[in-house]
Amino acid sequence: MKRRDFLKILGVGGVGTGLGYFFGKASKPPAAELIPYLNPPVDVIPGVANWYPSLCTQCSAGCGIHVRVMEGRAKKIEGNPLHPINKGKLCARGQASLQALYNPDRIKKPLKRRGDRGKGDFEEITWEEGLSILSKNLLSLSEKGEADKLYLLTSQIRGSLNKLLNSFMVSYGSPNYLQYELFQNKNLLYANQVTMGVNAIPHYDIANTKYLLSFGADFSSTWISPVSYSYAYGQMRQGEDGIRGKLVQIEPRLSLTGANADEWVPAKPGTEGVLALAIAYAIVEDGYYKGPDAASWKALLSEYSPKDAAVVTEVAEGRIREIAKEFGQTRPSLAIGGENLARYENGMSGLVAVNILNHLAGNIGIRGGVIPNSNGSRTIDFKNNIAAFATAASASKVKTLLVYDTNPVFTTPKAMKTEESLRNIPFIASFSSFMDETTAMADLILPAHTSLEDWGDDFADPSVGYPVATLMQPAVSSFFNTMGLGDIILSLAKGVGGRVKDKMPWNGFSDYLKDAWKEKYSKDKDMLASALTFDEFWNQLLTRGGWWPAEQAKVKAVAVSPKGIEAHISKASSRFEGEEKGFPLYLTTYAHSSYLDGRGANLPWLQELPDPMTSVVWGSWIEVNPMTAKKLGIKEGDTVTVESPFGKVTAHVYLYPGIRPDTVSMPIGQGHSAFGRYAKDTGSNPIEILPFMEDPETGEIALNSTRVRISRTTESEKMVKIEGSTKELGRNIVQTISPEEFKRMNKEVS
Amino acid sequence: MKKFILYIIIGAATFMMGYTINGLYSPDLSPVQPIPFSHKIHAGTNKIPCMYCHIYAENSRHAGVPNIKRCMGCHSIIRTDSPLIQTLQTLTSYWEKKEPIPWVKVYNLPDHVYFPHKRHVKAGVPCQRCHGDVANMDRITRETVSFGIPYVRVSPLKMGWCLECHKNEAQKYIGTPVKNGTDCWTCHN
Repeated sequence: MKRRDFLKILGVGGVGTGLGYFFGKASKPPAAELIPYLNPPVDVIPGVANWYPSLCTQCSAGCGIHVRVMEGRAKKIEGNPLHPINKGKLCARGQASLQALYNPDRIKKPLKRRGDRGKGDFEEITWEEGLSILSKNLLSLSEKGEADKLYLLTSQIRGSLNKLLNSFMVSYGSPNYLQYELFQNKNLLYANQVTMGVNAIPHYDIANTKYLLSFGADFSSTWISPVSYSYAYGQMRQGEDGIRGKLVQIEPRLSLTGANADEWVPAKPGTEGVLALAIAYAIVEDGYYKGPDAASWKALLSEYSPKDAAVVTEVAEGRIREIAKEFGQTRPSLAIGGENLARYENGMSGLVAVNILNHLAGNIGIRGGVIPNSNGSRTIDFKNNIAAFATAASASKVKTLLVYDTNPVFTTPKAMKTEESLRNIPFIASFSSFMDETTAMADLILPAHTSLEDWGDDFADPSVGYPVATLMQPAVSSFFNTMGLGDIILSLAKGVGGRVKDKMPWNGFSDYLKDAWKEKYSKDKDMLASALTFDEFWNQLLTRGGWWPAEQAKVKAVAVSPKGIEAHISKASSRFEGEEKGFPLYLTTYAHSSYLDGRGANLPWLQELPDPMTSVVWGSWIEVNPMTAKKLGIKEGDTVTVESPFGKVTAHVYLYPGIRPDTVSMPIGQGHSAFGRYAKDTGSNPIEILPFMEDPETGEIALNSTRVRISRTTESEKMVKIEGSTKELGRNIVQTISPEEFKRMNKEVS
Repeated sequence: MKKFILYIIIGAATFMMGYTINGLYSPDLSPVQPIPFSHKIHAGTNKIPCMYCHIYAENSRHAGVPNIKRCMGCHSIIRTDSPLIQTLQTLTSYWEKKEPIPWVKVYNLPDHVYFPHKRHVKAGVPCQRCHGDVANMDRITRETVSFGIPYVRVSPLKMGWCLECHKNEAQKYIGTPVKNGTDCWTCHN
């Protein structure tokens, strides 16, 4: 070997060894530190999760949840298996509430307005400062004798917090405590009140019914208590006693529930109430109603013969009679009226018609029918609604507004001028944790905890036939510099002093909550029997997640009388704004299955969750029947202007065969102008272009109330959706079986 | 051309050598800890059982580093005169500052490996099997000295080493190989 080669080999070897050594070093995991606790909390084992039972507040269904907490951080949320409402299940919105806790756009400190109102220019202040600003404002208001000009506007809070807020307002001297949400079921409450005399939404026993007639109730994604109803629907379809329940869905736009139905009846929008009465008439006329007052029912319903109704509703007479036959003969059957029916301008009367149907078929107060809830002791003031508040505000009758967890600027039509009336209020304080459209109008923001950080309780309404109470406990300590709403109110009471302070001697909301439950415990003999001492009972509450009786109470029958009901039935089909010539299409709106009324739009998990029917992710769309689209010369993805007499929005076209050709539909929830980085400037909000039209008796704002015209713009884009085609193209993906076949197979097996 | 191939072969061989040398003799096998804590005194001389301090080993995937209060539980009574315990940069100073001690991790598994202490302890694998003769170590190290040369490591923490035990040595503890012990998802989940 030459000396030269030897040196070369030595060189190559040396460089190789060096490279190998440093490669080995670089490929090792980086040095890590082990940080022990200084003084560990008693119930924490690093690496082992604690599950805390609590309450989901993403909608007002009142589901019980278990929060998985590891080393003080909430990691996952599941349903509470013991809870009678959701039975261990949880919907996407509940799962995503974790992101409300960790949301980067949360208001992390109290804020004071610096620039012009609504411009979003705030400065950070301390809690002492914030609370003193607000209590000074309240003091000066009551000194001027204008205590009744304080308004408190919240979401549908039930339970002890509601009581606390109420006693704060009463002792301060203001009667103006108002709860407002877009989906508050006021029409349903009112209809049940006038027909059955019950002040609460009843339990619809979907699980045990054999024939479910749904008037636009999308119970599997958004209606009232979707987790509970979906679970029940599963049981109904399983047909545990050998009979698989049948579902008939009546709605102009095929919802997720409609897609699961055996039959879809796309009646003309606004005529569903008439259709219900026509079915009722057919039930009486064809002799399926056996009551002694059949004659007076027939007289009452005489204007709604199926023959005439067929012309109005565009549902064939034979089909109406067939539904009447099946509904009247199947035992038990159940009719429900959902948001689509309830949100017409005369929605309440449609729901009355549904109750009449239930009565005629003998479904009220039976298993598998309508089971009245007994916890309906509350009274609802239908006159004290958001429109009345807006009127008062524009008449300068509101001096100070406190607002919590509700967003009327986003959820009321532009035609109602909520934003303008808010500008008329001298001082607005918001307790919201997020900068939503209404909070952006505030002068002072005192951010409240999210539900995972706070104490509370809830009495589910509707319940499941017997009372269910759920306890909310802090699963984690507060993530930012926020404060529970109950604690804020109690500190305000101390700041205001006088009578308000005397009425509220508690140091914190957790004390108040415990005292409230102590009182309940001392009065309820079932609770007394369940534990020896109150502390034991309280621990039981905290570990189980709430209180509900072990057995279901007996169901009581309630009769509906034809007397006096006539006043609540609307003769005509619902009104729609806009002339048919200029505005040829009906607009129906519906709650998006993940954003509901828009409150979920700031959670990225929900934003990236495809809509179950269209599979569209992000953005807003308008559903147009392919036939209509062809006539208008538009195709999928085209940006169109949707114009009503009250304004216009833009949306992308989604071609949807599951909608009537004379109807277009838009989901509610997107189109925020504030509400954090994930919600802001995404999609459009169809509520903006709605007329301000209330149900005359309940004050519920109609959502299906206008006609629109759509016109193409020059823009177009590819829809962001996960489905390629709406058809299965012979791939046999969706295998179906008719009820008759199912019955036959069941017999063969057993 | 022949020479070029030779250089490549030599380069590759020495690369592997360098890599192995790094693996075997890298100084992070026995990192310096923030305070001069001695396992030899605690576990060796005084025979304190492992799980008296590493309290979570039986219940969690983490064995757990003792919290400072647990240390002080003894040391507010025992050896209160020792300068190594009572002076600056030692146990007491951390306790007085109310700060945890930032221990340096010796056995550091990558994130894609799920290793539960609980299952191994419950199966009866002695702590020393993987952590070595801790009772004779002042500072925790993964080096073992044989014939005066520190080169055999206590645990290589490589996948083959894990699997070897799951297949064969496990029989010593539980009588059979580990059930699904060689499935990917057993450890990588």
